[in-house]
Amino acid sequence: MQNVVERVLNLLIYLLESPAPVTAEDVRRTVLGYDEQTDEAFHRMFERDKDVLRKLGVPLSRHPLDAWEVDYGYTVDPDEYAIPDPGLTQEERVALSVAARMVRLGGSHAGLDALLKLGGIERSVGLEPLGADLGAEAEVLGSLFGAITERRAVEFEYRDKTRQLDPYGIAHRRGHWYLVGAGSKGERIYRVDRIEKLTVSATTGTFAKPRGFDVRSLMDSQPWETGSDPEVEAKIRFDSEVAWWAARTLGLEEPEAELVATVPVANRDALVGWVLSFGDAAEVLEPPEIRDEIRTRIEAALENLP
Amino acid sequence: MTSSRTVSRLSRILALIPYVLEKESADVSEILDRFDYSEDQLTRDLNTVFVCGLPGYGPGDLMEAYIDEDEVIIDAADYFTRAPRLTSTEALGLLAAGMTVVGMGTSTPALESAVRKLTKAVMPEASSALVVDVLDESDNVGILRNSAADQRVVRITYRSVGKEETTEREIEPWTVFTTLGRWYVMGHCRLVDEERTFRVDRIRDIEVTDDMFERPKRVPEPGVGYTASEDDVVCTIDLYPRALWVLEYYPVEVLRQSSRSTRIRFSAPDAEVPARLLLRLGEDARLVKGIEVAERVKDLGGRLLTAYR
Repeated sequence: MQNVVERVLNLLIYLLESPAPVTAEDVRRTVLGYDEQTDEAFHRMFERDKDVLRKLGVPLSRHPLDAWEVDYGYTVDPDEYAIPDPGLTQEERVALSVAARMVRLGGSHAGLDALLKLGGIERSVGLEPLGADLGAEAEVLGSLFGAITERRAVEFEYRDKTRQLDPYGIAHRRGHWYLVGAGSKGERIYRVDRIEKLTVSATTGTFAKPRGFDVRSLMDSQPWETGSDPEVEAKIRFDSEVAWWAARTLGLEEPEAELVATVPVANRDALVGWVLSFGDAAEVLEPPEIRDEIRTRIEAALENLP
Repeated sequence: MTSSRTVSRLSRILALIPYVLEKESADVSEILDRFDYSEDQLTRDLNTVFVCGLPGYGPGDLMEAYIDEDEVIIDAADYFTRAPRLTSTEALGLLAAGMTVVGMGTSTPALESAVRKLTKAVMPEASSALVVDVLDESDNVGILRNSAADQRVVRITYRSVGKEETTEREIEPWTVFTTLGRWYVMGHCRLVDEERTFRVDRIRDIEVTDDMFERPKRVPEPGVGYTASEDDVVCTIDLYPRALWVLEYYPVEVLRQSSRSTRIRFSAPDAEVPARLLLRLGEDARLVKGIEVAERVKDLGGRLLTAYR
């Protein structure tokens, strides 16, 4: 690793200081660590080091050096390389350092790497007992976030089908990350942990997000409110022992005794699951078809007993 | 095939150099803190910087980097006066951290303006593209957080998960955290005289007492992984294809799997949990083994049938 670190540092300095695009051959002849390699070993090494530069956030660009695009040259524009200064005050830097220590993403503290680039982690006094874990999918979320900010189309496998999407945003809700965007059939939501084989388009600015679009508007719902079942209203009674808890979930005022609530339903399965999670302390009063469905399920469960 | 350790080492070096260049003097202990370095790591990285520079690689071409008494010295590195841009993963991490804490309802104006500035720098035209929602509907998170910070004992009325019974207990809250979409408080429970983790949404009433406690010096990393205990009710269930989501939502052990059904071992602190699940699944699952659970399904199912007839 020592050699790689030195070689990449030297390569980056060379690229930053070269006034004109440099070819792979220039690199091989000039930069320490690339000499004395066979052709094949050199190319493997160079490919790998370019990949390291991109992962560091270095804007490495490639230009054809002739009209036939036979030879390519590489550049790193020093102005584009430099991180823009967000103009944070000392107090704001401390607040971000505390936040980064409180939140985990992908198994480590979220944003500490970013803070290093912005001038390091500020020390803070006192203990903060709050914490949050935003799940494991840091890498795929990073790629999606890059695609969203640069307006690049994405393609991925989801439940064994290939989907194409103009990504508009990502949202963390009820413990899961969701990707929101527009496909050929309109706006869609996908669970990020079920996305496989993600590829991001090489061209930027391939779509325009509709004006005033807000990720939140697609997310504000209970699990039983979004689905493909014909929409009905269900009336549910909750015993006094669990009424406070149901009211909290539904965003209603906490009742003194029992609660009768009316909720819109477009996903019956989700509603039935929620109501039965209360055991016999909750009962769907209306409509009859949901009551029938619950009865059918219970009868089936009883029949399936050993 | 890039080692992520290579990338993070380089990333830290490229952040360190501009910081030290800009400073009149950079104190070693401050640098260790600020860049999360051990002394050995810092020395090693400075030694690396010391042998790199411009082509030619003679004494006049290389960067200078060393520790002089208590000071970190870096010189002749004009090309590194600024750190590289944030990658999208880094930007997302920091923004998400900031937005999460803002969303917890305990943030400061400084954090809010920091998030605003970062958003502007990272995605000026897409300020509504990232949403992190961790808000708890009740005020309990705030109350527990303050009690933990002040080291005050709280009295809670709690509806336990699994056992489905309501108890009143005094707890010493150590940390309050959210994961997988729920809020938890971890601490010492005086009722059972053990360390416990409670779901905040299951706390019906909460009262801050005048009683103080001493927070342990080392608090374990919070986690909500379910650990089976000897008193657990264990049963075996066959899941049919439409019920496979259960694997994602419960900590189950898969015994064998075919295209028609998946056999799992299900453990819970009380038979009520698998019984409610089986009733909900209906024809999509079948109980294979577990007398206690079967009895509970019969009992609860019978009562529900009476209600739905």
